[in-house]
Amino acid sequence: MRSLNDREPIQPGDDAPDFAFAYGGATHRLFDFRGSPVVLAFHGAEWDPARAEHIETYNKLIASLGGVAGARLLQIGGAGPWRDLSFTDAALSLPVLAADSAVARQYGVGSEPAVFVIDAGGVVRWSQVGPMSLVSPTDVARAISVVAAPFVHEPTASTGEPNEAPSAGWTRRDFVATALAAAFALALRPVEAHAERAARLAAPASTVRPVTLTVNGRQLSLSLEPRVTLLDALREYAGLTGSKKGCDHGQCGACTVHIDGRRELSCLTFAVMQEGRRITTIEGLASGEQLHPMQQAFITNDGFQCGYCTSGQVMSAVAVLDEPWGPTDDDVREAMSGNICRCGAYPGIVAAVQEVRRAQATNGGGNRQ
Amino acid sequence: MIDFEYIRATDLASAVGAGAAASTRFVAGGTNLIDLMKLDVERPSHVIDINDLARRDPSLAAISELPDGGIRVGGLARMRDVAWDARVRERYPVVSQSLLLAASGQLRNMATIGGNVLQRTRCPYFRDTAMPCNKREPGSGCSAIHGINRTEAVLGTSERCIATYPGDLAVALVALGATVHVHSPNGQERALPIANLHVVPGAHPEVETVLRPGELITAIDLPALAAARRSLYLKVRDRASYAFALASAAVAVELDGRNIRDARVGLGGIATKPWRSREAERLLVGKQATEQTFRAAADAALAAARPQRDNAFKVTLAKRTLIRALTEVTA
Ligand SMILES: Cc1cc2nc3c(=O)[nH]c(=O)nc-3n(C[C@H](O)[C@H](O)[C@H](O)COP(=O)(O)OP(=O)(O)OC[C@H]3O[C@@H](n4cnc5c(N)ncnc54)[C@H](O)[C@@H]3O)c2cc1C
Ligand code: FES
Ligand code: FES
Repeated sequence: MRSLNDREPIQPGDDAPDFAFAYGGATHRLFDFRGSPVVLAFHGAEWDPARAEHIETYNKLIASLGGVAGARLLQIGGAGPWRDLSFTDAALSLPVLAADSAVARQYGVGSEPAVFVIDAGGVVRWSQVGPMSLVSPTDVARAISVVAAPFVHEPTASTGEPNEAPSAGWTRRDFVATALAAAFALALRPVEAHAERAARLAAPASTVRPVTLTVNGRQLSLSLEPRVTLLDALREYAGLTGSKKGCDHGQCGACTVHIDGRRELSCLTFAVMQEGRRITTIEGLASGEQLHPMQQAFITNDGFQCGYCTSGQVMSAVAVLDEPWGPTDDDVREAMSGNICRCGAYPGIVAAVQEVRRAQATNGGGNRQ
Repeated sequence: MIDFEYIRATDLASAVGAGAAASTRFVAGGTNLIDLMKLDVERPSHVIDINDLARRDPSLAAISELPDGGIRVGGLARMRDVAWDARVRERYPVVSQSLLLAASGQLRNMATIGGNVLQRTRCPYFRDTAMPCNKREPGSGCSAIHGINRTEAVLGTSERCIATYPGDLAVALVALGATVHVHSPNGQERALPIANLHVVPGAHPEVETVLRPGELITAIDLPALAAARRSLYLKVRDRASYAFALASAAVAVELDGRNIRDARVGLGGIATKPWRSREAERLLVGKQATEQTFRAAADAALAAARPQRDNAFKVTLAKRTLIRALTEVTA
């Protein structure tokens, strides 16, 4: 087996390796960003954030990305001192990271400059590694839009024109439209380990249609064949992998989500059927860092073991308290019978539901956040 | 799953027009159709989403009073809404119970009344495209007759098919004598007794209902019926919840003291269509509500049973289910 040090750069079609990084006083993982495209930039040792033209470049890159996709920029310094950069558009979240050569090795880029465009599902869709010192933000922006990654449209102030000519910091040599075209061919070519996924992404245009879903209060614009279930759209296209696929046939409840406030099975409905309806997944249940009371109750009451069924159980349990069931443990068991747990965590699950029910009765409060 | 053309119907006329084309299916809740499409048992080239019809015409999903005291349930009403409706629970407990004992909370939020009555058999051979099945591929043979047939039917079978009709609601509806309203592609409305909706397999197991291509169920009427208030659905299955019936009984009884003035009997889980037992009803009406009466009715209901190798237990189970349902409902 190759060592991490001499691995080839990650290719379009590969899953982007996960890594942890500190930002804003908390530790994040790349995987946390699933659901939005991410641009990962590695700069060579010569890059210096103190130099005005480099900051300008950075600004341009951010502006283009915000304009097309609300994408986040993860900036990873190759080496040397580092400091926080401030940007005009506060709507964009911008982790600025300490130098991390281990991450660069994970991506097989060593100390070279490189840019990776990662789609919302966590797959690298475009990359540029090598001699150019920097990549055109316009091309990166186009890379994101052209490959039809699912975009998360969040209202962002118009901060730049993606089609603007390269700015002062750019040399003609850096603006490599031809290299970009080659990279696209790569992105769409089935890569061995991902042949199926690539084939799907390059599906014939006949039945693929734009589908806009409202998920956790955000608009997701996807390009989908009608046969894509809501579950697959969430997991495979929007990168929201909290909803689980247990049976894919309505027999286990692992895929439970809320649609217009009711619990439904995302595996037995087509995503196209859900346009215009309000979808909530487990990712949308907590308010920021504050867990939903049902999530907390599952933890407190040992409502799970392996956790595979848990997101479905929690979504189901939250909705059950809005249904006209009786108050006994048996009522809870019957109401929750559509959620199977292989680990047999049922006693804890019933206890969790009852705990939240009692708390609600005391507070007189509603169930939903 | 093969790819297909998705069409969102916006009005009834165009829905039934498009629905009449070959290889076309309506999708409502999707919980049966999409399941079968994933298995390649259903391979429509066109799928017409009829959910928006109820947004344009809310009566298609409504539960409303009929002038004669009955209740009309829209074809696109969800199982959940009908099950918990206060009027249905009070006047038609058997309907509410048949729904609440079916599927799961999530599925009941999705599934519609029209889709429910038209759900297809759970026969494992029907669902497995590697196996011969006359219902799925006419003329290919029945794998169940000489196969594992524990869950198959004992009533209404033929040499070509012994697949059980799996639903619960329709069993309650045949007992009550509900009426199905259908909108046809020629623009006409027609109404038929639910007992006439499904057909036994006979020589053509692939034909399951009398609906013609494109016909859409717009509503089902629950009749004004005194016996319906004293009604009950009893379902016996392999586990306590979230399973199809091995045997079930839908009973409605009108009592005059201990004398049975009117009785309705539906049986589920044991027949190739939602089964109404008029034999049992005849032996109940005018008799005293005693265990002896119930036993006689149960024997009559199952007299024509033709069990297979693995499902003879269903004959006994169905009789006991019916006896217990009648005992409870007259208690
Ligand atoms: C795991 C599981 C367990 C289940 N357990 C039970 C159970 O215990 N008891 C029970 O009774 N059911 C059970 N079901 C079945 C469930 O109730 C049905 O799948 C559901 O009721 C079908 O309704 P739908 O609206 O989802 O139909 P769809 O899947 O949308 O449609 C089913 C069929 O009906 C046609 N159709 C739909 N609406 C109309 C209409 N208005 N007019 C004409 N044609 C129409 C469609 O073209 C399709 O052929 C279970 C299902 C699953 C997946
Ligand atoms: S994955 Fe949807 S119910 Fe099992
Ligand atoms: S916790 Fe393991 S399946 Fe439920």
